[in-house]
Amino acid sequence: MRRRPGIAGLKSAAAARDQYRLVGENVARIRADVMKEQLETFRTQLEDFARKHKNDIRKNPTFRSQFHEMCAKVGVDPLASNKGFWAELLGIGDFYYELGVQIVDICLSTRSHNGGLINLQELCSLLCQRRKVAREAVTEDDCLRAISKLKVLGSGFEVISVGKKKLVRSVPTELNKDHNEILEVAQAQGYVTIEELEKRLSWSSGRAIDALETLLKEGLAMIDDGHRDGKRRYWFPCVASIFSAPGSDGFRSL
Amino acid sequence: MQRLGNFKLPQFFNFPPFFTLQPVKETREKQVQVWKQLLLDYCRSQKIFVIGLEEDFPLFSNPVIERSLSHEAREVFLSALISEGHAEWMDKDHRKCLMLWLRLQEWADYILNFVKDNGLQDGVMTIEEMRSGTETHELAGIDRGLLLRVLRLLEQKGKATIFKGTSADDDGVKFSV
Repeated sequence: MRRRPGIAGLKSAAAARDQYRLVGENVARIRADVMKEQLETFRTQLEDFARKHKNDIRKNPTFRSQFHEMCAKVGVDPLASNKGFWAELLGIGDFYYELGVQIVDICLSTRSHNGGLINLQELCSLLCQRRKVAREAVTEDDCLRAISKLKVLGSGFEVISVGKKKLVRSVPTELNKDHNEILEVAQAQGYVTIEELEKRLSWSSGRAIDALETLLKEGLAMIDDGHRDGKRRYWFPCVASIFSAPGSDGFRSL
Repeated sequence: MQRLGNFKLPQFFNFPPFFTLQPVKETREKQVQVWKQLLLDYCRSQKIFVIGLEEDFPLFSNPVIERSLSHEAREVFLSALISEGHAEWMDKDHRKCLMLWLRLQEWADYILNFVKDNGLQDGVMTIEEMRSGTETHELAGIDRGLLLRVLRLLEQKGKATIFKGTSADDDGVKFSV
């Protein structure tokens, strides 16, 4: 005959379980308290610092970037979450989220003329124009920071370096080395000709045409057959200075 | 920014490739879009009702960058406007184009509102009276042929009656809104 557990056996087992739980909870609580205390100290220190320099952080771009560097060193990311004291204290999370939204907006609204590749400088100046009311200077460093936050969206925002310039890419186009070199040559005047590519990069005309065709298809280049010399020019709105002239209202109305 | 009289030109007007028809579909669509807008905005602000394709229309060339639109490009942009009812060819050869920043029906609605707002119901106006008026007024300087067509449209709907005068100047219209 199978032995059935008696009432007494069940009770003692339950009592033992309760004991274990109590002890375990105690240990966890003590640990948590210590942690809390440490965090509290760290937090007050940081808060003190941030409060003291709040205005500098908000208004002074250089200070802001130094502050970010410091945070990075201690392993704190003030932008990681919009909740928590950074956001409350500095509004700094909001600052970059706002910037991010505005950057996306600008990239989208200028995509029609630049094919989704925009000069960081131009982006920055458009951003400043848009934020005129805010009266807070925005640097390229801030733009880069905001863009790096956009990456988590997986939306393909990326900064690429072409020659001395930085371009922000908002379309998933892969640019190869040839394309980059063309953009680099185009920086001088905003356009290139096939002849120029042959001469400057010692390419065959086939190679030049091939790469240019791809850039055309991606909407990054536009052809211009109107010049007196009859040579076709390939213009690149993303590096043409006409769109980054100060005070330009660009294609925003489109 | 460059200006044409009191009209502020958009930035693309100084960007040479916009004067060459773009071969890539998406880029072409954007190009057509900005040109359509420019043509309508300019004509509306300057009250230009007819564009001659062969003529020296100020928007067809930009001396600053030494670029001008080919005949084909002019026709492409205007055809795009025509397809949305914002323009009409005036002849078979596509040499002249009537600009309709308000479509015919929109003009008709505009006139009806104008009549209501000014208490002109059951009153009689001459066509010339309607066309005169202050500069800022939308009807001022409206193309006579266009105005007559819009009035006939209203007549068909029983909202207006056109009277023949002794001379063209005396043609009148009575609204019954």
